Amino acid sequence: MDLKVMWATMKKEFQIRLRAYPIDFMVGCILTSFYTTLGAYLMYHYFFRQNLASDFADLTGTSDYMSYAIVGSLLYLFVVRTCLNVSRRLITELREGTLESLMLAPFKRTSYFVGNMLLQTVMTFLETAIATVIGLFFGLRIHDFCLWKFVIATILSLYGFFGLSLILGCVMIYARDTYISQNTLFAAIFLVCGITFPKEYLPYSLQFLGNIIPVTDGLTLMRAAILGGMPSDRFCIIALRFFVLGSVYVISGLPLMKRLEIIALEKMEG
Amino acid sequence: MIEIKNLQKVYDVKRRQSFFHMTREKVVAVKDISMRIDKGQIVGLLGINGAGKTTTIKMLTTLIEPTNGTYSFDGIDAIANPDLVKRQINMIAGGERMIYWRLTAYENLWYYGQLYGIDNTLLKKRIEKLLQIVGLEDKADLPVETYSKGMKQRLQIARGLINDPKYIFLDEPTIGLDAVVTQDLHKEIRSLAKDQGKGILLTSHYLSEVEELCDYIYLVNKGELVIEGTKKELTDYVFARNRYVFSVRGMDKKIVCRLRDNLRMIDPESEVLFEDGSCTIISKAELSSAIAEFALKEKLVINELHKQEPSLEQAVIKLSKNLERKDTQIA
Repeated sequence: MDLKVMWATMKKEFQIRLRAYPIDFMVGCILTSFYTTLGAYLMYHYFFRQNLASDFADLTGTSDYMSYAIVGSLLYLFVVRTCLNVSRRLITELREGTLESLMLAPFKRTSYFVGNMLLQTVMTFLETAIATVIGLFFGLRIHDFCLWKFVIATILSLYGFFGLSLILGCVMIYARDTYISQNTLFAAIFLVCGITFPKEYLPYSLQFLGNIIPVTDGLTLMRAAILGGMPSDRFCIIALRFFVLGSVYVISGLPLMKRLEIIALEKMEG
Repeated sequence: MIEIKNLQKVYDVKRRQSFFHMTREKVVAVKDISMRIDKGQIVGLLGINGAGKTTTIKMLTTLIEPTNGTYSFDGIDAIANPDLVKRQINMIAGGERMIYWRLTAYENLWYYGQLYGIDNTLLKKRIEKLLQIVGLEDKADLPVETYSKGMKQRLQIARGLINDPKYIFLDEPTIGLDAVVTQDLHKEIRSLAKDQGKGILLTSHYLSEVEELCDYIYLVNKGELVIEGTKKELTDYVFARNRYVFSVRGMDKKIVCRLRDNLRMIDPESEVLFEDGSCTIISKAELSSAIAEFALKEKLVINELHKQEPSLEQAVIKLSKNLERKDTQIA
């Protein structure tokens, strides 16, 4: 890892964003989380009349649906923001005409992507903090906070989201599309990864899909760290599984991205 | 020295036949190109009819891998060691690409300097020097999006020199620039090669630019090398016959007839064309002294007598027409 390139990329991205995006872009992102929480609130209070399925607590380890849904929506905000930024990097460079000059330089791509990921993480932490305060008004309660579990869940989530971003970025650059690919993935995450309801309620095939997206386990770990209800040994097993899954994405994503860079440069010929 | 031999690039291209049906086909962008660039030399790469110039440059800059052929860079196998090559080259393209518009000139150069792993103290000095060379030191802290086209192009040049490359690839560097900026840029390119000993490959649609700057020229057509040489070698090859412009006071058809008879004694295939009171003489032979002797013998007052050097542009146009004719005949 080249720290110089990583730091320079973070700095460059921050400067660009400072000049390129107005504050309402950030507000828009927080609103996504707000709307997800609001939707869950309305469903829970006015549609289900606060009646949960008998197996909800068994499946999730909590009977507090609003806290369950709010943690889900906060992590959803996190995954959308980080994935969106990292995966779009190369296609944005391509569209802005800087891909060639970037690829001419002999630097390690990992440092470039990690730099982008870290900047986005810092910015998204800020957005998530604001969204968390909003969540408190909707009934978010931190039942059993465990610091070490929270740290592990956060690090592994960032690792998994980074891997996912790389694969999404590959799809984007190959298809030269951002909207269809990103929105399809985000819709799939929302539906099958257990954002507002346990994935176990879904058919087996969709549960399987949820299991191979490196968000589901991250969400389970994060809920366990904030809401409790999961023994430590089970937490560690899921953490290990999540690490392996994230590694599969990262290990396959980085060389694939390198290959697709070349395809992108060749495609520039027309 | 950069040396490529029999470089080839074949693209695997998908073509949409209908909404659900795609077919794959091989497209040969570069069929067979061999060339050489020495340090301190400006080499021109000219192309006609979708020649594959940009693909060639991309292979030379290691952005894309050739399908076949060899590429030696100062004795290193460049295809196997692209990162070693990347440290010692850079590319400057025409247009307003390759720089971040939301960053300032200084921030752009700083970022690219970091990507090349340049030491910060050295980088600071180099940025200041480059900004001074391209005349942007006063605008260094303004975002690039506020720059004019010429200023963006000048910043691109600074970016292309940030790693102090041994070889520079210039892809249409003056496209869209006004005459004054172009002239400054030409001066800079010449200085990079002649004063700093950098090897330069230049592609341009402006043949006069290639003619003015390049020591050696490669002409490619449909991915193949058609001809190579100095400007003189190229024009001599295309225009195998000499052209003279000759006029005297009171020139008329009788003088022209006598001149024709005189010159045909030396070269029976020589042509003398009379138009607007002036003669154009075309011949394989060297006729300057024979024409002067004719004027002396006839006691004519010479208004004009000179050998007309064909321009590179004329040579390329003629060559292009010949190639088109050849293609039509084959078809």
